[in-house]
Amino acid sequence: MSEESRKKTPGGLVRRFAGMSPDSIPKTIFVAVSVCLVASMIVSAAAVTLRPKQEENRLRDKRVNILQVAGVYEPGIDVLAAFDAAFEPKVLELKTGTFTDRFDATGFDDQAAAEDPATSVVLTDDPAGIGRQARFVTIYLLRADDGTIDKVILPIHGYGLWSTLYGFIALEEDGNNIFGLQFYSHAETPGLGAEVDNPRWKSRWRGKKIADAEGTLAITVAKTAPPAGADHHIDALAGATLTTVGVDTLVRFWLGERGYRPFLDRLKAGDI
Amino acid sequence: MGLRDFFDRIEPNFTRGGKYERYFPLYEMVESFLYTPKTVTTAAPHARAYIDMKRIMTYVVIATIPCIVVGMYNIGYQVNAAIGLHGAAGWRASLLGALGIGFDASNPLLNLIHGALYFLPVYIVTLVAGGICEVIFATVRRHEVNEGFLVTSMLYTLIMPPDVPLWQVALGIVFGVVIGKEVFGGTGKNFLNPALTGRAFLYFAYPAEMSGNTIWTPVDGFSGATALGLAAAEGYQALAAQGMDWTVAFLGRVQGSLGETSTLACLMGLAFLLITRIANYRMVIGCLAGMIAFSTLLNLIGSDTNPMFAMPWYWHLVVGGYAFGLAFMVTEPVSAAHTNMGRYIYGALIGFMVVMIRVINPAFPEGMMLAILFGNVFAPLIDYFVVQANIKRRARHHV
Amino acid sequence: MPRTRKQMLVDPLVDNNPITLQVLGICSALAVTSSLQVAFVMALAVIFVTGFSSMFISMIRNQIPGAIRIIVQMVIIASLVILVDQVLKAYAFEISKTLSVFVGLIITNCIVMGRAEAFAMKNPPVASFIDGVGNGLGYGLILMLVGVIRELFGAGSLFGVAIMPTVNNGGWYVPNGMLLLPPSAFFIIGLIIWAFRAWKPEQVENREYKIQAVEAH
Repeated sequence: MSEESRKKTPGGLVRRFAGMSPDSIPKTIFVAVSVCLVASMIVSAAAVTLRPKQEENRLRDKRVNILQVAGVYEPGIDVLAAFDAAFEPKVLELKTGTFTDRFDATGFDDQAAAEDPATSVVLTDDPAGIGRQARFVTIYLLRADDGTIDKVILPIHGYGLWSTLYGFIALEEDGNNIFGLQFYSHAETPGLGAEVDNPRWKSRWRGKKIADAEGTLAITVAKTAPPAGADHHIDALAGATLTTVGVDTLVRFWLGERGYRPFLDRLKAGDI
Repeated sequence: MGLRDFFDRIEPNFTRGGKYERYFPLYEMVESFLYTPKTVTTAAPHARAYIDMKRIMTYVVIATIPCIVVGMYNIGYQVNAAIGLHGAAGWRASLLGALGIGFDASNPLLNLIHGALYFLPVYIVTLVAGGICEVIFATVRRHEVNEGFLVTSMLYTLIMPPDVPLWQVALGIVFGVVIGKEVFGGTGKNFLNPALTGRAFLYFAYPAEMSGNTIWTPVDGFSGATALGLAAAEGYQALAAQGMDWTVAFLGRVQGSLGETSTLACLMGLAFLLITRIANYRMVIGCLAGMIAFSTLLNLIGSDTNPMFAMPWYWHLVVGGYAFGLAFMVTEPVSAAHTNMGRYIYGALIGFMVVMIRVINPAFPEGMMLAILFGNVFAPLIDYFVVQANIKRRARHHV
Repeated sequence: MPRTRKQMLVDPLVDNNPITLQVLGICSALAVTSSLQVAFVMALAVIFVTGFSSMFISMIRNQIPGAIRIIVQMVIIASLVILVDQVLKAYAFEISKTLSVFVGLIITNCIVMGRAEAFAMKNPPVASFIDGVGNGLGYGLILMLVGVIRELFGAGSLFGVAIMPTVNNGGWYVPNGMLLLPPSAFFIIGLIIWAFRAWKPEQVENREYKIQAVEAH
């Protein structure tokens, strides 16, 4: 393009700017604003277009964990469809052990419920180290083909050595036999406390019984078997004393009176 | 003096221009181990002292002898006692059985022999694996193999749990010698204690076996916790229920590492080092003061949930590796502070940290090793501030 | 710098490696190398960000006012990083969970800023792009090396596939737990630097001090 045509073209304003010394004040402001504008457009476009996909991932991730703890997960299955087909989310009022219709089960936000003073209580005696406990939690029922309850999946959490462990425990329909346990979020020491993710350790939970014959809470995670017997005992994690203690207390807390005990009693009695 | 002649005859091969010039460090190592070095400093100034590097190192090794003997006896005693309750297993038991020696825990000699079967394999592996590294570095770097390794290997062996797998022993000492010492230029240039560096490596690499809260006695069916693990869980008062009162812990008839259980033996070694003035008393005073002050403070504060808060200082002294660390690690001159004021601060920092880790950190029952390494890292900084303060003070006098 | 494009790409791998020679970008190398898969994705993300940020910055380099050039560079780099983060969250959710905050921290990775400031501000877009990709590759190479060592000896596997079955899973290998902790990467990177400098002695820096020879009287 020749010198002549450059002066005449209508795009002269842009060119004038381009030719301006970069250090002049209008140019500085112009560059700052336009870079920010372009960058924010790109970022927000990416965020908006990808949001549904990300939401789906988060949901999927949680459901994969539920499917895994219930033992129905296989790689490659359509997680959301499999979940919707088999599982029924229910909002449970912990104190009474009954389902409540006050909230919509599919949209219930457990985390928000635990933070909201209206739906949660501050724990003074707090063995699991969770601070506030929600009065309502979402639990999941896995129904067999004939419509009876096959398994219940209960969310649990509590403090280990370095972090709060979040997970699910799956129980058989009798409300006493453990089917599986899985943590989906924690930050314990790799190789020690993080062995809570080890499939071999997790498999030891299967078939253990929560309560003994008299109905007392007997399940423990410890190095040595308790007097109640091996049916109620899961081996400690090697070298991870405090994570083990954490898992032990949080499981006992959630399966105890202040956790799911009222619900489990009703489940055993066949009231659900 | 046939041997002397032999050395004189082969020496030209190793000196400059000789056939095996590269291997001079090897020659020098063997020769100076057996004879007084011939080389003397020619340039002034000369510092006159009766003691040289080799004698320092030899004295430290001598100072560990009580620990070695008591340690071997104690391990033999613990294993024999456990065998009396649970039956024998393993190659050591078969060997002793084949020799017809037996496992009588009330016979000190038998205990000593059985303990030696735990001590010697660990020590030999340490010497071989660490020695190979030393020689390789000495050969490549063209410096002499230093007697310091004799001390390092002995201290390292004494802080090993008796049932440690031998390959872990080898890995640890190699790490300690290479990363703790040689990469910084060899003896005298390391800022960390090489024995502790190796131990710390194992501690973090294989914590299930090493972290010091479960028992080591290698007999099936025997389980329990070490003194510190038990104290952390149930309070030091619970130790008495396990038959461990203060005197027992002080004499060292408790479960623990190869040579660090007996406070008495460690203090004997410490006394020897102090009398020969190899150990500097300032660090010992600092370390005791730091530990006593902070543990007493914690006693006063108290805690409902953490029983370790109530542990008095004289218990801190006798359990775990405190006494051993105090005698042989805190006083190690190379990695410690080098100014007199700095030595007090350095000792106090370690004494403070060991109580801090034992009582307040939930993950580690024992803190002596980490506290000393922490002190090692801070030693140059402490020296720097002491020197700067000194410069400032003197500058004020000479305005 | 009279260099060919091939040199720009290959130089940062060994001869002018951003980690081992310039010792930049160490923090993320500690954090994301405990598993090879994560290290690999991180390396790809950094290559993408260094390449394109250098290119975009170079394209507008003559327009960037000197007074605000660092901020302009940051805005471009940050936008690219957020883009990568969003894409990972959408299409590689599992990995983005393990990478967590470290993708975002690419913004603070000195390598990206360093290349923008040292190279892209003075060179045309294509050369800047290649230079950025080359430095990203150099970073990625070390990341993968560290990742191989840490995952193989720390967990007995590579890319999550068990190579040496561990004791906890019924095998024979006792995994070295320290390698799963971030500080171990310090040792490994240190040893890699040692190896590089033994191989290429010209990378050894001059001493900052002088050892005084004792005068013989």
